[in-house]
Amino acid sequence: MALNQASQLYSGSDRLGPWCSPTGSPAPLSCETGCGEGSWILVCRLLVPTQVSLLSMEEDIDTRKINNSFLRDHSYATEADIISTVEFNHTGELLATGDKGGRVVIFQREQESKNQVHRRGEYNVYSTFQSHEPEFDYLKSLEIEEKINKIRWLPQQNAAYFLLSTNDKTVKLWKVSERDKRPEGYNLKDEEGRLRDPATITTLRVPVLRPMDLMVEATPRRVFANAHTYHINSISVNSDYETYMSADDLRINLWNFEITNQSFNIVDIKPANMEELTEVITAAEFHPHHCNTFVYSSSKGTIRLCDMRASALCDRHTKFFEEPEDPSNRSFFSEIISSISDVKFSHSGRYIMTRDYLTVKVWDLNMENRPIETYQVHDYLRSKLCSLYENDCIFDKFECVWNGSDSVIMTGSYNNFFRMFDRNTKRDVTLEASRENSKPRAILKPRKVCVGGKRRKDEISVDSLDFSKKILHTAWHPSENIIAVAATNNLYIFQDKVN
Amino acid sequence: MEFKLEAHRIVSISLGKIYNSRVQRGGIKLHKNLLVSLVLRSARQVYLSDPCPGLYLAGPAGSPAAPPQQPGEPAAGPPAGWGEPPPPAACAAWPETEPQPERPADPAPPRVGAAEPAAPVTGAGDALRAGEVEEAEAAWRRVEGPREAAEGGAGVFAGAEGPRGARRHCGCPPGGEDRPGALGACPRVDCRCAPRPAEDEPPAPPAVGPRKRGAAGVGGGPAGGPAPGSSPLKKPRRNSEEQPGGAEEEEEMETGNVANLISIFGSSFSGLLRKSPGGGREEAEGEESGPEAAEPGQICCDKPVLRDINPWSTAIVAF
Repeated sequence: MALNQASQLYSGSDRLGPWCSPTGSPAPLSCETGCGEGSWILVCRLLVPTQVSLLSMEEDIDTRKINNSFLRDHSYATEADIISTVEFNHTGELLATGDKGGRVVIFQREQESKNQVHRRGEYNVYSTFQSHEPEFDYLKSLEIEEKINKIRWLPQQNAAYFLLSTNDKTVKLWKVSERDKRPEGYNLKDEEGRLRDPATITTLRVPVLRPMDLMVEATPRRVFANAHTYHINSISVNSDYETYMSADDLRINLWNFEITNQSFNIVDIKPANMEELTEVITAAEFHPHHCNTFVYSSSKGTIRLCDMRASALCDRHTKFFEEPEDPSNRSFFSEIISSISDVKFSHSGRYIMTRDYLTVKVWDLNMENRPIETYQVHDYLRSKLCSLYENDCIFDKFECVWNGSDSVIMTGSYNNFFRMFDRNTKRDVTLEASRENSKPRAILKPRKVCVGGKRRKDEISVDSLDFSKKILHTAWHPSENIIAVAATNNLYIFQDKVN
Repeated sequence: MEFKLEAHRIVSISLGKIYNSRVQRGGIKLHKNLLVSLVLRSARQVYLSDPCPGLYLAGPAGSPAAPPQQPGEPAAGPPAGWGEPPPPAACAAWPETEPQPERPADPAPPRVGAAEPAAPVTGAGDALRAGEVEEAEAAWRRVEGPREAAEGGAGVFAGAEGPRGARRHCGCPPGGEDRPGALGACPRVDCRCAPRPAEDEPPAPPAVGPRKRGAAGVGGGPAGGPAPGSSPLKKPRRNSEEQPGGAEEEEEMETGNVANLISIFGSSFSGLLRKSPGGGREEAEGEESGPEAAEPGQICCDKPVLRDINPWSTAIVAF
């Protein structure tokens, strides 16, 4: 089980765990921090889903070639292709992406084979389907975007894979299954499926299953609709695997996977008088082990931990995490930059990580008055908040992720930069997901932003950062050092070099 | 001084964002609009904290003293400080308001708009204007109410919405209607735009909610009732603070630009007023198309205010 695996990794003392080579003995290089210089290589860059899926299905071309070739290097990206969420499943074998066009593309890891050892770790398209369509709410004259806000996998319990995908209003449970056999030899139908004239049937035979080309099909098994008035921002599967929650700006609902026509409202922060609205819910997540515990973050920079055993409506928190504001940093935009855009439990369940506009913070569940660690992601933007407000960048919602052993955290920034912070060594690195560095197996060079004074070679000045290229969504393999980074319509897969 | 310019610019930008949010695909985003309104509030407070009233963009060095306090104020407590304009007339008065944020309403539930009335402006001097400004301030939050009730969160539109809201609140038709200002022509008996700044009106009965106004287009329609069922606390507050008339100029400037806002945005902000009585409006969460309905702010005293159009308004006009 993926969960057990993660617990093993998080032994606390042995941070070399995930860095071991396949033989199990720690490789010398792995003694360095995982985010040290030069240790990350590009595995593959996956292209716009439409192109990949069209090619793989209509033409008989090896999708691997497509993924690794850069012949289809489009410089433009349609809005619908912009990736809006990335998520590994619990084993890391599958990687799902959702985009603004409502599509879900699932990539599967290349199986290890003796012939092509170097191909291990690559991900290829496994399945593509349209999860959500644009809708129009006639009653409210509202268009409902088909953009996939979040995807969450369910742990695998049989041969099929299940995932939840959600747009602003509706959550859907999809079943992704393989079919590699088909029945042949029906009595009443011929091979093309046409009905046979019963009078012509003189003998009976038993249909047999014959192998066929592998087909991956996705079917919607449940649709959880009409439960949210505001825009859904998070979904989280409970550790009991029977329930999950969906959170919008003001409410959180608890669902049972089997029941689609009702949900329980467990948090409601809508004030009786909307004039009194001061904060909204920005993210929510269940505790990884305790099925009664969850947290939700707010636009005011606070996190509330709730215990569902306390009462049916968890409006009163069990714990309240808030760091007092630093008055010296006060500005017009202090409230905006303190709004938490993502909250994630560590795999151990002991810590939570929050991302606000300029920092990532790690909180210990046992200490509510301040975080135990604060990492500056791009503090050089603090003096540019007004411009970022004008171009709406200040509202960007960056996500953050833990690695499998909770020793390294990662989050995105602008100019296609993403940052990793090693919690143990306190070292950090800035890497770039760009086409220029996109040769397969190319080693990523750490980047640096020059904040003032002399700009060294290879440094980038703050003013030349491209704010239209932002890394909002990243994912880390649950047990290995493989990361997926979404840059607009491109999905980059990087791997730790030690292998 | 620079702060004032900066605040001015930020207010303009914020209003633009709020305006554009109407046409965003996917509906109005509550979170973003809430954040924008918070910025608007902060900027507005900085702008109004200028201790030298009348010298909007040519403030002497005296102004820097205020802004540093300003930004602190909103953070001071729950948004109870929302619509609470600092005492424009004097810096001295500023510190008083600072500890105040929670006073007016209960600190416990942050009262985004309920608490602060149009503090600085009251019956002094120009009674008419005072009344308006009170409307502005008081209705400011009221404006937020229906706005937030609007599905997708048109959000809390503090700041500039306030004064505009005030107009609507009193139910007088907007200036565009060619009504001679608040002085006359207020069709409703209990319209506050009549010069009765000192009166303590009970909130209009729910039946007279602004909902009716919702149906009309820009600059038209029957005046809705006053007090769209919002917190009755506002009334006592509104009248409880007396400020020197100097404050009015600040508020006028505010209202002046609001007047322009109304004409520019047309009916887009009318949804702000559509607050159903007894919170019924809030229940209509889906009706985020509020902006499209209802007439915009009914400006009581457009003319006298418009005379004071200043660069701020001009900036807003650009939108």
